[in-house]
Amino acid sequence: MSRRGRLFVFVAGALGISALFVWGFSGLPDFGVQPSVYGEQLSERAVDERHATNVVAATTFDYRGLDTMIEEFILFSAVIGILLLLRAQRDEEEDAPHDMAESRRPLPTSDAVRVFGLGLIGPTILFGTYVVAHGHLTPGGGFQGGVVLASGLLLVYLAGEFLSFERLAPEKLMEATEAVAAWTYVAVGLAGLVAGGLFLTNFLPLGRIGDVFSAGMIPLINVAVALEVAAAFVLLSDEFLEQAVLVRKRDRS
Amino acid sequence: MTELPALAVAVPLAGAAALVGGTLLKRRRLIDAVAVAVAAGVTVICALLLVESTRGPIVYWFGGWEPDNGLALGISFAIDPIGAGLALLAAGLATAALVFSWRYFDAIGGLYHVLLLVFLAGMVGFTLTGDLFNMFVFFELMGVSAFALTGYKVEESEPLQGALNFGVTNVIGAFLILTGLALLYGRTGVLNLAQLGAALQGTEADGLVVVAFVLLVAGFFIKSAMVPFHFWLADAYAVAPAPVCVLLSAVMSELGIYAIARVYWSVFEGALGGQAPGIRVVIVGIGVVTALIAAVMCFLQRRLKRILAFATMSHAGLFVVGVGLLTPAGLGGTAVYVVADALVKATLFLAIGILLHRYGSGDEYHLHGRGRELPWAGLLFVIGGLGLAGLPPLGTSLGKSLIQQEAALLGYSWMPAVFMVASAVTGAAVLRAAGRIFLGRGTRDDSVRTEDEDEETETSGGEGRTPLVMVVPAALFALLSFAPGLIPAFEHSTTEAAHRFQDRQAYQSAVLQGVSPPLPALVEQSSSPLKGLVSGVVSGVLAIGLALAALSWGRLPLALRRAASPLARVLSGLRNLHSGHIGDYVAWLTAGLAALGGMFALALR
Repeated sequence: MSRRGRLFVFVAGALGISALFVWGFSGLPDFGVQPSVYGEQLSERAVDERHATNVVAATTFDYRGLDTMIEEFILFSAVIGILLLLRAQRDEEEDAPHDMAESRRPLPTSDAVRVFGLGLIGPTILFGTYVVAHGHLTPGGGFQGGVVLASGLLLVYLAGEFLSFERLAPEKLMEATEAVAAWTYVAVGLAGLVAGGLFLTNFLPLGRIGDVFSAGMIPLINVAVALEVAAAFVLLSDEFLEQAVLVRKRDRS
Repeated sequence: MTELPALAVAVPLAGAAALVGGTLLKRRRLIDAVAVAVAAGVTVICALLLVESTRGPIVYWFGGWEPDNGLALGISFAIDPIGAGLALLAAGLATAALVFSWRYFDAIGGLYHVLLLVFLAGMVGFTLTGDLFNMFVFFELMGVSAFALTGYKVEESEPLQGALNFGVTNVIGAFLILTGLALLYGRTGVLNLAQLGAALQGTEADGLVVVAFVLLVAGFFIKSAMVPFHFWLADAYAVAPAPVCVLLSAVMSELGIYAIARVYWSVFEGALGGQAPGIRVVIVGIGVVTALIAAVMCFLQRRLKRILAFATMSHAGLFVVGVGLLTPAGLGGTAVYVVADALVKATLFLAIGILLHRYGSGDEYHLHGRGRELPWAGLLFVIGGLGLAGLPPLGTSLGKSLIQQEAALLGYSWMPAVFMVASAVTGAAVLRAAGRIFLGRGTRDDSVRTEDEDEETETSGGEGRTPLVMVVPAALFALLSFAPGLIPAFEHSTTEAAHRFQDRQAYQSAVLQGVSPPLPALVEQSSSPLKGLVSGVVSGVLAIGLALAALSWGRLPLALRRAASPLARVLSGLRNLHSGHIGDYVAWLTAGLAALGGMFALALR
């Protein structure tokens, strides 16, 4: 199709969809009206039943724990898919990193970036750990904390260089971490079975409301998810950096 | 036994995560063995679930969160024979695909196996779940793993292009589903399918309900590749490795149709059921258009995988007709047809894999006459081609005739003609290719050079002999494809399952109250096996005739060939629409969604 033809078909369709959306969305409850019986029920129950003050965490990791397990595996398989698609091919070889523009002197990382980067690594990791550990109490949890942890590792790349980043977080280790973390979630589910409940039934003591060690299995799942997410993001960055930095297609001629 | 529903998903996922360890160890045979064992285990679990579900629905509340006063708190699997049957089909085909892969790829890491098991878990969960949001999550899991598997051959640009088109269109589908789901949640505040059905029951079908229905149907139509949402399919199926194609073509396309049936009868029927005739016209119409367009496109292809891709689409159109009739008999017939057709397509894709493995080509002109040394593979192709055409006693003929009869009862007296054309033309395309490859009939046609001619393949080709692990699964599927037509109990139990599938009240009370009312006695419909037999034979003969005509095209009378030339112009226009350009595809998708919305708005006024 020509560019114009494509645009015409798209715009005609988009206009139709807009009309459709206006028609559909005008049927939603008015602003401020909250008819969700389900949401209300869970908000009322979560603290008593789960000893989790973060209702969102109780919902995603306990009442609807299966959804989150599958979401974890979506991330898992996305990363595995990236590893599969970006695997080194037969006609490619990995070069030692070097600047492609030979005549240009590479700019060294500035001292300011280096100092701030290195200085931020510790606090970032600490903050990430905090977000993960308190996921059942305050907003946060494994997904958010995992990303913070991964960015802590990426600061190493920013402040130092690619190779020290790879040495600190080698691909194989990250792959293994990712797999173990994904597996842990399923194992927690199976532990519920073994303890006499159903899959993903809580099998740990609920503890005192507000404690770090409370809310049963939720903190444990949070840690698993955090490892999964952190490893996934490090692997993703690593793969893309590798494509840019290391792999060059061998000259075919 | 009571834990089977959870294990059906937990086992493949745990297996996939554990296999990553295998890839780090680089033990190829160990990875193969574990993957096959896991898939076989899932097959057994699904078979047990199927048997148990015939005695009544199985409801499993994850985390033990049973409904409180009829309000669902957690996520449930709600398993009936149709869902469990599809899960069994997926698991069985995945097992066979993994066995086939044992010797198929030259250099393959364990990541392929990991993704295949995740894909399987996604399909199984999708068929078993009783929660709309959970359904969406499994839909995504299925998608993400399938995109990567499609792009497996990264050495070439085509697979990446195909995977990209697949990915972009299907992610748009997921957005549509999520939006539809959000609308329903905004209105009712619940996510469980049964609960949604109870909330919508007897309410007025206003804009919100209609638009939510349109969005969900469109999202699932993208997955099942209905016109005009279909463009991605041929690009993706033509480049995915043959064993992956088995799963894509024989199960994944069908799951989109299953999902439409599931949400219609569990959620929407209470609000929209009054206007069933209008809905029927729209859905059946889309099915018919898809079946015919895809059949024509199928006949125009020369690459075997593309032939089968369009055959998959065409037959998916026929399934949509069967489901769209919105009656138990239509759904039951579709279930029979889906199973029989899956076995036929699996046979054919594996047979193509065997040719690719041996000759490194999947192009019918390239392979001209070269298959003479493989008569048994030719037999697989012939069975497959006749299976697509629906010749008795192959199981497909039964499924087809059940849908046709029901359609005729509902006033679509011309429907048998549509079924005959779609099945005969798709069958003929396969038979034509078989005649050229295995008998050396027809022209070699070296003059026609297309850019996709030098197709590289996933295997190096040039293998002297075909390993047994590749022959056995293909032959097994070929044999099994006779079974649905020859086991009389099969038809009866699918009809029964279809009745139960559509009983919204029984579904609700099983899920929300935990009581399953006894099944009402089934009224046996007087089906006329003779009529089905005749139409099956006719489409089989038609397929053979068409294939012969295509093979001896050059020797046909000149007048006839001249008369066909205006047709050629129309066909090349149709071909050009399938441009491979993702922008085109998204434009058509946008227009298609608007058109679908318009049609449903008119039908449900």
